[in-house]
Amino acid sequence: MWVYEKRLQFPVNIKETNAKLAQAIISQFGGPDGELAASMRYLSQRYTAPNKEVMATLNDIGTEELGHLEIIGTIVYQLTKDLSMEEIKASGFDKYYVDHTLGLWPQAAGGVPFNACEFQSKGDPITDLFENLAAEQKARSTYDNLIRLTKDYPDVYAPLKFLREREIVHFQRFGECLRLVQDSLNEKNFYAFNPAFDKVAPCINQKDCNC
Amino acid sequence: MRNMNQKDLFCFINQISFMIDDITLFLNTHPDCQDAIDAYNHFKEIRCEAIKDYTEMYGPICRYDVNADNYWCWVNKPWPWEGECYN
Repeated sequence: MWVYEKRLQFPVNIKETNAKLAQAIISQFGGPDGELAASMRYLSQRYTAPNKEVMATLNDIGTEELGHLEIIGTIVYQLTKDLSMEEIKASGFDKYYVDHTLGLWPQAAGGVPFNACEFQSKGDPITDLFENLAAEQKARSTYDNLIRLTKDYPDVYAPLKFLREREIVHFQRFGECLRLVQDSLNEKNFYAFNPAFDKVAPCINQKDCNC
Repeated sequence: MRNMNQKDLFCFINQISFMIDDITLFLNTHPDCQDAIDAYNHFKEIRCEAIKDYTEMYGPICRYDVNADNYWCWVNKPWPWEGECYN
């Protein structure tokens, strides 16, 4: 169960529309390394997490990512609010406008629709946590690219900079989760079995086996 | 916190909530860190008071805290994406 709070995690108050920027930033709404994929990734993975710390981390970062989806949605909405037909045509926003008018729809900057294949829930905590570490870095790189595009627009730049910092903090927390999971494994078998599924590590070499 | 204006109190709530967001993520992987637990308890109390004051003076942030008399005020307070720093 979630409880909604009528506020953003970081304030967004954009005074000037800019459809060109909106078309780039929408990638963090529904693109391959965007906030929707991030939230769904962690909230899907949490059920088979191997310990309470990892469950709590996936649950709470997955929840925070929903808040980030709302920040990105707000940025795109405010950048495209009340656009004139001239602005829509001149900015190249006409291709998006044909299908969605000024509504928000999860897609990548290049127009590719959101797809659940952009994230994985493998049911193996080692696999999933490496996926999450990579995902946080990919999202950070995407924010780096967006920040380069928005340097001259402080109202847009500030929330993107905040979101970039959160990717770094989440990377740190997932790194700690990976450490916690690996510490609870047989050190000879870090990658040899799935701690959420296999009860006993399969014997690679029968002669050295203690089980 | 009742001497703060609406905008300042709303920004204060956002800031203190973020501190708690960050501390709780840290606590999830360091559940026995006493310094972080003390910080959580400290900020939680301040946040609770700020939310209570804001709700009483300017209206609900959460739908469990609506004080409705003859009109459901949850619907007519601005939504976060509408461009105000405060609702």
